[in-house]
Amino acid sequence: MSANSTQNLPYTRQEMMAIATGRELRDGELAIFGVGLSMLAGYFAQAHHAPNIRAMTEGGVYGATPVGGLPWGIECNRISANATSFTNAIDALGFLVASGRCDVGIIGAAQVDKFGNVNTTGIWDGEIGDSYRLPKTRLTGAGGANDIACGAGRVVIMVTHEPKRFADKVSYISSPGYLDGGNAREHYGFVGKGPSAIITTLGILRPDPLSKEFFLDAYYAFSSVEEILAHTGWDLKVSPNVRVVPEPTPEELAALRRVDETGALRKQ
Amino acid sequence: MSQHKLLSLAEAVRRYTHDGIQYASGAALPVGSDAIVFGRELLRQGRKNLHAIFHCNTQQLNLLAGAAAVDKAECGFSGLEVFGFANGLRRAVESGQTALEDYSNLAMAARLLGGAMNWPFVPATVNIGSDIQERSAFAPDDYPATRKIPSVTDPFSGRQIGAFSPLKPDVAAIHVSLADPLGNAIMLGTEWSRFELSRAARKVILVADAIVDTACMRQYPNLVRIPDIIVEAVVYWPFAAWPQSSPGLYDVDEEHMKFMNKALATEQGTADYIRDYVTGYDDIDGYLDLIGRDKAERLSNSVTSFLLDPFRQWIKTPEEIAALTSEVAA
Repeated sequence: MSANSTQNLPYTRQEMMAIATGRELRDGELAIFGVGLSMLAGYFAQAHHAPNIRAMTEGGVYGATPVGGLPWGIECNRISANATSFTNAIDALGFLVASGRCDVGIIGAAQVDKFGNVNTTGIWDGEIGDSYRLPKTRLTGAGGANDIACGAGRVVIMVTHEPKRFADKVSYISSPGYLDGGNAREHYGFVGKGPSAIITTLGILRPDPLSKEFFLDAYYAFSSVEEILAHTGWDLKVSPNVRVVPEPTPEELAALRRVDETGALRKQ
Repeated sequence: MSQHKLLSLAEAVRRYTHDGIQYASGAALPVGSDAIVFGRELLRQGRKNLHAIFHCNTQQLNLLAGAAAVDKAECGFSGLEVFGFANGLRRAVESGQTALEDYSNLAMAARLLGGAMNWPFVPATVNIGSDIQERSAFAPDDYPATRKIPSVTDPFSGRQIGAFSPLKPDVAAIHVSLADPLGNAIMLGTEWSRFELSRAARKVILVADAIVDTACMRQYPNLVRIPDIIVEAVVYWPFAAWPQSSPGLYDVDEEHMKFMNKALATEQGTADYIRDYVTGYDDIDGYLDLIGRDKAERLSNSVTSFLLDPFRQWIKTPEEIAALTSEVAA
């Protein structure tokens, strides 16, 4: 069964997801990473194929690379030890993201829907309804992800591929994808163009250029179209040209593991 | 002429806070700088019905909400970064004890800027179109919410944007790395929104890990982002952000971060935590004993310690600070 399918591989599903995410970043781009796994994916890109990426965190920490493993937070000693500039939220999320200067952002999601809308606020039984009732499970809120989703040129969403996380419609939009699809974003005049990919532990989804509905673009060596369809909570369309994502190269794995010194991505 | 403003923590809480106050924390992000010890003192003095303005949740809001002292909270990010969900806040929100009004991280900073500028509203180009705009925990039946981030027309382009309400908290307890006795402050690490908050809040209390001579501020005036003229009081308290980190001074206490968050997941755990770590000390010495002197030394031996090097020559000893504090009290 799927849970065992990576057992004999020299990397984990989480590592594949991080490497596939890192491959979305190009050298020289101005990029913003959320804390956690997206930070590992971003700094992997810098360590591997994008040495001149201009990376920042939303706290306004510039010029830093993590030391000693995954930082616990944006101001953790593991990221504060070699910064060249510390500024503030208005600067990072405002001057450099809301302004439209930031090329790409990486965000995580508790739940994502077919238009790439992200929920990180709470879990409700069914729809919330007209009255904003208490969540069954309160999550972390939007943080800076809403600002990145509105302002970054493009956004890469990283998420574990489970049916409960892939909903036809998220119960709460914490960070906007393409809202109701089509050109719905245009009404709000967001300077960012919206999510360019949803990269999961099973494959890669991309938005249809017109409808903006996400379809299956690629799966991994260890996953399959069938497995992905079974783990997606909407009727996922599959690209006629669906392909297999190249496996991590030894150089990619080595670079990722240098960044992920404490093995956060190797814990299953 | 400027005067020394050193005040004991207990006296600062007694003098500047009351039940129902709109209270802001001046912090970096959840794992970094924050005047968490100020929150402990709020609980020691039984403050309740707080309206908490936290740009991001920290262990302070997690503790205050877990202890049922917070009626309302406004927040950008309400987790604990890689340490996970904030169990105390989560429990308070899920039970209805705390109404948590969600914004994004840029929104909170922009609202503080609006408060500082005395703007009637702040144009919102983020949070619009999402449920942050449509849903209000403070007015749950107002859907789509009309008073939280109302739509307004940009008079120049004619485009629909949002309007954020400015924030002017009654009191802000702002954590800083270094303060002088007059209230000039240097923050090592990201300042997050502490600059804007220091101008938006009606009253500002600094909580400093170390007190330095004013000569230090004269050497690095560009780094003094909070000047004395807007500060009411200065509280000296080493490891004020514990178990979180203070760049240059100490690392995050990973073990206690997890222990504390686990305790806050239940009412009983919270009561035990308060008994041991909120009311379990009488003064700074007792507090440092509680952290553990060995551990405090280990946490101080940080890879970021070099950040403090330029300032060390001006750091005052606890005895010098005690003498100045009693001078103010007299």
